[in-house]
Amino acid sequence: MNPILVSVLSMGLLALAFAAILAVVNRKLAVQEDPRVEAVLEALPGANCGACGSASCRDMAERIVKGDAEPGACPVGGTESARRIAEILGLGEVEVVEKVAVVHCGATSEQKVKVAEYRGVKTCSAANLLGGEYACRYGCLGYGDCVRACGFGAIYMADGRPKVDVERCTGCGKCAQACPRGIITLEPYDRKRGETIFVACNNPDRAPAVRRVCEVGCIGCRMCARTSDNGAFYMDGNLAKVDYGKVYESGNWDEVVEKCPRKIIRMERAA
Amino acid sequence: MELLLIFVAAVLTNNFVLHYFLGICPFLGVSSRMETAVGMGLAVIFVMTLTATVTWLIYHHILVRFGLPFLEYVTFILVIASLVQIVEMFLRRFSPELYRALGIYLPLITTNCSILGLALFMVLREYDFIEGLVFGIGAGIGFTLVLTIMAGIREELAFADLPRAFRGAPITLITAGILALAFMGFSGLIRV
Repeated sequence: MNPILVSVLSMGLLALAFAAILAVVNRKLAVQEDPRVEAVLEALPGANCGACGSASCRDMAERIVKGDAEPGACPVGGTESARRIAEILGLGEVEVVEKVAVVHCGATSEQKVKVAEYRGVKTCSAANLLGGEYACRYGCLGYGDCVRACGFGAIYMADGRPKVDVERCTGCGKCAQACPRGIITLEPYDRKRGETIFVACNNPDRAPAVRRVCEVGCIGCRMCARTSDNGAFYMDGNLAKVDYGKVYESGNWDEVVEKCPRKIIRMERAA
Repeated sequence: MELLLIFVAAVLTNNFVLHYFLGICPFLGVSSRMETAVGMGLAVIFVMTLTATVTWLIYHHILVRFGLPFLEYVTFILVIASLVQIVEMFLRRFSPELYRALGIYLPLITTNCSILGLALFMVLREYDFIEGLVFGIGAGIGFTLVLTIMAGIREELAFADLPRAFRGAPITLITAGILALAFMGFSGLIRV
């Protein structure tokens, strides 16, 4: 028999056989997908940053469509994406509080008392295993794990401590996860004023202990709590805290900032 | 005994990745995390075993019978591509997590030289059906072994303080090279 004819025939038949098998398998194993998932995915930022706790933006979209997550659950997309998602799912208006990262340690490397020299791997997570170079066990270690974690270039080191660029910060919370000492938290940001207010200290110890380790640690003097006109600042043990439900309604918080003897009630302002 | 030799040769002495340098793409691409490495390894074991049996049958019962061994490349690629498609559909249905984790590397098995290499070696060394089957399983396990070792090393390396020039691909390739050197130690064990 003609070898060309045989090859064409056998290859053709083989290909046909496989095509048939694939067609059957495809039919049998078809995956039903909600078309809204695709639409919601479009409305999400698509950075796959993992800040919401889902593995990917697609994962998040599936959870939102299923109803396991709120339309505004994506911290990066903010109000804009939440509104579009609510529209796709036929939900009403949604309120989303915008958040940015704040660093609860404001001491520069000179202001912190140094007790050791660290020569290990230059990451905070590694340094934290040994306690780091500084006496304060609650403060910033200064190796910038948060800076490396940020996918938006919104956090940078200045004088040995991280600073947040509130314009760029999307509030994804990656830096907060990266910090082994948990001194970064996400707090509401007043977009109108372009400001966040926060206490730049995380040390819950009593005043003498704080004074021994840091020049600018919170000494629990209660000045902020006493000065504030609407109780926007309160004491949690020996550490001052901000009540974010009230602080942006407060009339005299600039006076509070001014009066703090350690100058650790700080504002991060959009440039 | 013969079967055992084929198996050990495929896993250790003539490892597809570190001896023949086949299948380097997923070896470098999927080895950054242990979880995906194991998943990919299992997918490759499955595809390799299937490929070994199906290509053996087609080669001996169709190609040889009709005097068409020159069609082996085309036929093998056809078989492998179809098999990978089936595996992909299967995974997508029963393990969406793994399906997403493997991403582009799963379709890439289709054009993976280690799988085609498996089918061609099998013909070249004139294995019978059972030998081919054992060879396929061995090659798959060898691939998985190397992939998981690599993933283990790379997970640890992620925390290392490397000079800037070595970060990412360079250190991965150096690691792969040292690993291949280490596997050279097995080479006296068996002759293929």
